[in-house]
Amino acid sequence: MNNYTPTSGSTPRRKSLVLVGTPTNVSEPAFEYLLSSMLHWVEQECERQYTKKKTLEAAQLQTKNININTEAEADTNDNDNDNKEHNYSNTEMEENKQNEMKQKETERMVMIAENAAAKMERMGYDVGYRLSERLVQNKQMTPVTQNNKSPSPAMLQLEAMKFICKEFWTEVFRKQIDKLQTNHRGVFVLKDLQFRWLQRLPGDVELARIMAIKILAYPCGLVRGALANLGIVAVVSCDFLADGKNMSACSFNIKVKA
Amino acid sequence: MSKSANIAAAGHALWANTPKVNTELFALTYGSLITEILRDYDQDISEVNVQLERIGHSIGVRCVDELLAKSEVNGINIPMCRDLRETAEVIAKIGFRMFLGVNCDVGKLTDKSFSLYLSENPLNIFVELPSMSEDEGGSGPDWNQLKYSNIYCGVIRGALEQVNLKVECSFVRDVLRGDEVNEIRVNVKEVLAEGAGEDYHEE
Repeated sequence: MNNYTPTSGSTPRRKSLVLVGTPTNVSEPAFEYLLSSMLHWVEQECERQYTKKKTLEAAQLQTKNININTEAEADTNDNDNDNKEHNYSNTEMEENKQNEMKQKETERMVMIAENAAAKMERMGYDVGYRLSERLVQNKQMTPVTQNNKSPSPAMLQLEAMKFICKEFWTEVFRKQIDKLQTNHRGVFVLKDLQFRWLQRLPGDVELARIMAIKILAYPCGLVRGALANLGIVAVVSCDFLADGKNMSACSFNIKVKA
Repeated sequence: MSKSANIAAAGHALWANTPKVNTELFALTYGSLITEILRDYDQDISEVNVQLERIGHSIGVRCVDELLAKSEVNGINIPMCRDLRETAEVIAKIGFRMFLGVNCDVGKLTDKSFSLYLSENPLNIFVELPSMSEDEGGSGPDWNQLKYSNIYCGVIRGALEQVNLKVECSFVRDVLRGDEVNEIRVNVKEVLAEGAGEDYHEE
């Protein structure tokens, strides 16, 4: 089979500027695997960088300590007394050390998780920014105004939000946002009750919750990037609405910077 | 050559039955991953290639299961491959077709190696490698060394490892570097013995 026949799947409503012949779709498993491998790689990378940073700090501390010690020895003559004092509080020191290690471990996990989420969000931002540029090309976004007044910023924001909920969400997740709520003062809540990327997670499992929160960092970036390209600077955070049975419900909270 | 026709038909059928995702999203996501890797490894191109291959390896391991499971679900029978040519055909006609929707050809077949030719690559639809400017001299990274789609090599290596074939894959020709077609060379290093030990063999 030498001739390539284009597969069905090109959407007629939008002209594709992609090279003729390249399909406009790839299979969902391909994308899902790529995303989960990216998550995995980002975590490993953050762990590596954290360990590197800590060993560097420890090395610097080491050299500092050695300098202080040599100075101390030069000053005092009672080294023996110092040693005796240390022996008494040995067990105390052990306990302190263990607590310190636990503290360090939690600190480490938290730092790595935060760094990983920030990285994923940053990647999502880049992708969302570029994707919305492509998707907005054929869409007209003039809000309806009364008396031909120029639209207020709030109306423009609402138009942008509607774009995200409909066109953007459809292109990325093949469905629209289920609920859009706003307080008309720059805060929007987007609810998706069947979020595609979370659908295969098992319910009621704590690890699944943690994974879901990690996965949700990327779409937050997507939304933030898309809004940025529309001229709206905002802070996007996400919440997990799952109630044990339906693990794929989530909400995105958008606060537009005034 | 009805077997080839069957394999090609199987590929098309599996592609038709998978849910789809926008290619642009896929390409942009991969692009942002590459940017991130470049940033983390200080633009050390050879290290980036290695990382891409490693990421591809973990994807490839899961792709094999997906391929075999989906073909079972859809009632498509992919017979066991008797020689390297059939293995290559399955990767090219079924694997690449069902996951990416692209046509892939097999060529330069020998006892222990084959080449895969990709004319369209969904990963690099928006990509242009930066050219080395003359004023920079040797200070910038050598972008020609970047194997942008090296993830495919990892995917193939991971997938074939699951079916007991230890291979080495590399990108020989790349459209981003000016060649006409993407060529991946696959060399079989050894055929591994069955993974689990004797204790796990069924009675």
